Amino acid sequence: MKEDLQRLTEDVALEVAGLTKRFGSYTAVDGVSFRVGRGEIFGFLGPNGAGKTTTIKMLAGLLKPDGGTITIRGRDMARDPAACKQVTAYIPDRPYLYEKLTGYEFLQFVASLYDLSRQQFSTIEHYLQLFDLLDWQHHLIECYSHGMRQKIIMTAAFMLDAPLIIVDEPMVGLDPKSARIVKELLKNHARQGNSIFLSTHSLEIAEELCDRIGIIVHGRLRALGSQESLRREAQLEDSDLEEIFLELTGADELTAIIAALKGGRG
Amino acid sequence: MRLRLLAPFLRTMRNRFFPAGTVPLKSLGVGLFGLLICVALYLVSVKVVGYFHRQSELGVILSLKIFQMAWIIMFAMLIFSCMVSSVSTLFLSRDNEIIFAAPVSAAEIYGMRYLTTTFYTSWMMVIFSLPVFGAYGRVFQAGPWYWPLMLVCVLATALIASGIGMALTVLLVRFFPARQTRDIIFYLSLCFGIFIYIIFRLLRPEDLVNPDKYAQFVEYLSAISQPAGPYVPAAWSANLLSLYLLDREIDWLLLALLVAGAPSLFFIGEWAMQRFFLTGFSKSQESFGGFRPFTRPGRYRPGKAGWIFRKESKTFLRDSAEWSQLFMIAALVVVYLYSFKALPVERSPMQTEYVTNLISFLNVGMTGFIVTSLAGRFVFPAVGAETPAFWLIHSSPLSINRFLLYKFLFYLAPFTLLSLLLVLTSDALLDISGPMWWFSVIASLIICWTVVGMAVGFGAFYADFKAENRAAALGGMGALLFLFSAMSVVFLIIAGGASPMYHFMRHWIAGREIHPGNKIALLVWLAGSLLLGGLSVGFFWRKGSRSLSG
Repeated sequence: MKEDLQRLTEDVALEVAGLTKRFGSYTAVDGVSFRVGRGEIFGFLGPNGAGKTTTIKMLAGLLKPDGGTITIRGRDMARDPAACKQVTAYIPDRPYLYEKLTGYEFLQFVASLYDLSRQQFSTIEHYLQLFDLLDWQHHLIECYSHGMRQKIIMTAAFMLDAPLIIVDEPMVGLDPKSARIVKELLKNHARQGNSIFLSTHSLEIAEELCDRIGIIVHGRLRALGSQESLRREAQLEDSDLEEIFLELTGADELTAIIAALKGGRG
Repeated sequence: MRLRLLAPFLRTMRNRFFPAGTVPLKSLGVGLFGLLICVALYLVSVKVVGYFHRQSELGVILSLKIFQMAWIIMFAMLIFSCMVSSVSTLFLSRDNEIIFAAPVSAAEIYGMRYLTTTFYTSWMMVIFSLPVFGAYGRVFQAGPWYWPLMLVCVLATALIASGIGMALTVLLVRFFPARQTRDIIFYLSLCFGIFIYIIFRLLRPEDLVNPDKYAQFVEYLSAISQPAGPYVPAAWSANLLSLYLLDREIDWLLLALLVAGAPSLFFIGEWAMQRFFLTGFSKSQESFGGFRPFTRPGRYRPGKAGWIFRKESKTFLRDSAEWSQLFMIAALVVVYLYSFKALPVERSPMQTEYVTNLISFLNVGMTGFIVTSLAGRFVFPAVGAETPAFWLIHSSPLSINRFLLYKFLFYLAPFTLLSLLLVLTSDALLDISGPMWWFSVIASLIICWTVVGMAVGFGAFYADFKAENRAAALGGMGALLFLFSAMSVVFLIIAGGASPMYHFMRHWIAGREIHPGNKIALLVWLAGSLLLGGLSVGFFWRKGSRSLSG
């Protein structure tokens, strides 16, 4: 029994149980529970305003939940946030950075926050090269484009080599080449036994990368499982993720809208 | 001019002050507070102008010279502040992308920016100048036309200043990138402010009450403030109103110039906008200094504290709006210390040693207030200055308390140095030694550390990560509450030390033996001050830390 529990703890990178967040009388996240295993890429989907970003912010320790627990590698986020954050790299959807630092200085700063060794820090060269940022590393971030900012955050996250990466909309603002590189880096990171919690609107990305998918609607986890199991749940055996998503998120009115647009009344 | 572009401004104002169509208590309170300040300004001005007015013919002339100077200084300040703001409103505003992408003419945009910038830069000056100029009307017992004339003059001067400021800005941005232009104007206005400040101090206003130097001072003042030039619009207002105050006559030419000046300048600005705007706007999207590489920093060394300090100093030193304030502080320190040198201690009827020790005691409070206001400017907004990039700190293993501690330590050293510089130098200028020297050093250190700690705590509680810069955070309720609370603590510490220090010093100066009760009272004050400081910092720090932890 004890061994089973230990194995379970070792196999689970992130465990969320009954996670709840309220803003006044509005419940943004309502009793969400799931697990992300080691070496797994977990996709988190949902329509706008469903509670994805709120959930992610709680996982990254940016928001305090009103209920439920978050356990990262056996550590409770509420009791030991520093230990949880030490093993987590967070990539937000909007790349807010320190405008008056250069890209290189920013990476040094991030490395210092996570107590990275010099050897670990030296891996940035590889990522900067991958993302075509070598020539820009000593320029102020204020002159970076949106995509370059996203890439410097990606570099910081991969530099940390964290056992868990939490990423919100990973491909926003990236050019096709960088997007391809990020996908490969994420897959490679997971192959090494690390876990990735990925929130996205892009169903293609979810379809390509994720081992399991959770769909959140109105703050509640509507569906959870592999793409196969979601197909079965939606009773759409031969459909792609888009149709499954639309079915499970209850976008019934979409059929009428599409019919109206096709009829030229839009 | 079509007014559709003004809709966001008007609706924002309405939603801010009258949310849901009601008048909330907060808006009423703000209005009442403003009214109280106006009344106080009016009463003080009536008293001061009345004092001059009663001093024979010379007093009347002197009061009118001050009247003219006030107009010209107000005018210059309005032009500078309008130029600084209009670079932001015209070229760097966040809504620019929506507005410029829409099929809206440059003239229409200019009209909207002109009105909003004029409002933002001159509302305070207009509202608070009315009671001052109104006091002149009361003292000079001006006729009924003074009041509408005064209103026309104040509004016309503000509109003309905006017209000049905005037209100059459009032309300047034609040649320099907007951010650089803003920096240039900012330095110029800073130099102007420092110049006015130092000149005013060097005029030695305290000599006004020195009968020996009165005549000499008036002569000097008259020499430097001859009737202002006919080309300065503020002088049109000053001369128009002065003439009416003295002779009840209206100079119709000056009035016509004032009334016609504002629209003329508006059309010149509109023309400049249509002609030069696109070049300037393209340039405004260039980053100042961003396209040149910086030198490669040294090797990466692990260590959170070191990097928080480095980040803080780099961000500060690379933002010209921040480091340029150091000049202002330098001027403040020089003038402050000069005041001690210029103190007419020898003219006091009391024994010099008593006076100097008393001044040294009060100086601890003054230093405390200076430290408080500077902490309000630099330390209070320091947490908010992390900008939305704060997610990085928050999602890292660095705890919020540790982060606040590093912020505190970063600002502690310069503020301690400043405190000691002010206290030790003024003590040296006053020739203070012995117990008062120790008291001033110890008290100012307790005050300095308490105030910096409170500023960090308040700053964390009221952190505004969306504020455009540190100065913008000063307008909020949090900054006011910080200033009020910190000044109360400073006052309590100083007031608590007054009685024990008075008894102690009385014996010490007289060369009598010091009673053990006096020593105990001072120790009690020391312990009480440390406790008060510690509790104040602890309380607000805890609140701030909790608020940031979300």
